[in-house]
Amino acid sequence: MLGRTEGIVLRSRPFGEADLILEYLTRDFGVRSAFAKSPRKIKSRFGGSLEPFIHSRISLLGREDASLPKLTQSDIMTSFQPLREDIKALLQATEFAELILKLLPEREPAPRVFELLLWALSTLQSMTMLHGMIMSTGGAAAGANASGVTAPAAVKNERETRERWQFIPAVFKARLLSLTGYAPSLRGCARCGAGSRVFYPREGALLCGACARSGPSLEISAALPGIYRNLSEWPLEKIMRIRPSSGLLAELKKFIHVHLAEGIAVTVKSAKFGHGPAE
Amino acid sequence: MPQGIIENLIEQLSKLPGVGRKSAQRMAFFILNMKDEDARALAGAIGAVKTNARFCKACFNITDSDLCSICRDSLRDRKRICVVEEPSNIIVIERSGGFNGLYHVLMGALSPIDGITPDMLRIKELAQRVSGNGVDEVIIATNPNTKGEVTAKYVREALSPYDVAVTRIAYGLPLGGDIEFADEITMKKSLEGRRKLD
Repeated sequence: MLGRTEGIVLRSRPFGEADLILEYLTRDFGVRSAFAKSPRKIKSRFGGSLEPFIHSRISLLGREDASLPKLTQSDIMTSFQPLREDIKALLQATEFAELILKLLPEREPAPRVFELLLWALSTLQSMTMLHGMIMSTGGAAAGANASGVTAPAAVKNERETRERWQFIPAVFKARLLSLTGYAPSLRGCARCGAGSRVFYPREGALLCGACARSGPSLEISAALPGIYRNLSEWPLEKIMRIRPSSGLLAELKKFIHVHLAEGIAVTVKSAKFGHGPAE
Repeated sequence: MPQGIIENLIEQLSKLPGVGRKSAQRMAFFILNMKDEDARALAGAIGAVKTNARFCKACFNITDSDLCSICRDSLRDRKRICVVEEPSNIIVIERSGGFNGLYHVLMGALSPIDGITPDMLRIKELAQRVSGNGVDEVIIATNPNTKGEVTAKYVREALSPYDVAVTRIAYGLPLGGDIEFADEITMKKSLEGRRKLD
């Protein structure tokens, strides 16, 4: 029997007149779909607790092998409301949810993925709030300046915060790929063990000149395998101490994107969205 | 292929949302015993909706002519537009009697995870209406959930170049509800949206 656990809402779909089918990442049962009766009605006892990315204590009624257990209770533990109030943060959190739904098989317990998502949402929320504060302070400073020049300290802080913000998805994706068994092989040529800096996404590995076959490839820097390994292995509570240079962070983002899109053919729908009317 | 005309009617009725076989059977026998003119009026209404229903050229409400009855009504306040997700939302707002302006139906809400992007909604058409029609206020009445919220924010940004007040319907506790059962997000929004008692 299923029972009480912690869950994070990944996606919800309307069903029937006022019902919802929810996809949760749970701490104990992995990705589980659940049926919620009438949460779309104004006076529903579920209230706002079934919105995306809400971390709550839930009760699922149904057998372990039930394809659609019934959600009988949902008490919010962390609302992550700031993530739903910022379009960019919402898109980023949506990408996390989509990747989990694509890479993690349903009904397979994955407590480490649960911890990873909780860390990613918490860190993203902190950085989003910090970025918002810096932008409002920077804006005030610029407003006070007759020439319209933003205060240099605010610009520096804004840039640093943006880079830290971009670091979160890199950590999330590298670790999720490891936890789900899709990590790229970056310890020399995957066939003969010789040194190589050319990554073949379709092989998911580095290959040396002698072992290489035709197909798309990506040349990587000497620093990339090391930082990738650190992102995958360092404890989460210390991981934000890693501070890659802007160039290395950009390379890391590109590398992970190529591995996901060309290596394991995973694309996310939220990527089609852009980042709002301003861009 | 269903046997008999009643069996056929039951099967057709059970295609409606929320109607199971038992309800369909009850409806079918009710229709059988209805007055002839009422039954024909029901069949005629279904036929007319499928033949004539289209979207209003101005607001995308459902209508049987180029402009819907609300857009044609010269007594409506043309300086206010209420933005909703679906045509069915208009019926609820009209029933409340609290709004006498015009509407704009977006035909859905933004949903990054489902790939519903801004170009799939009627946001550009809203901006065009606002840009040239002397509109003072746009009230965003999308659903108070994540999709509705992100849509509201997007619409607000899309209308930022224009000299128009963009407002959002209030959040909070439903009338007749009990604070004891309110979740923390709804309660927080209710407190943020408090107003002075007159």
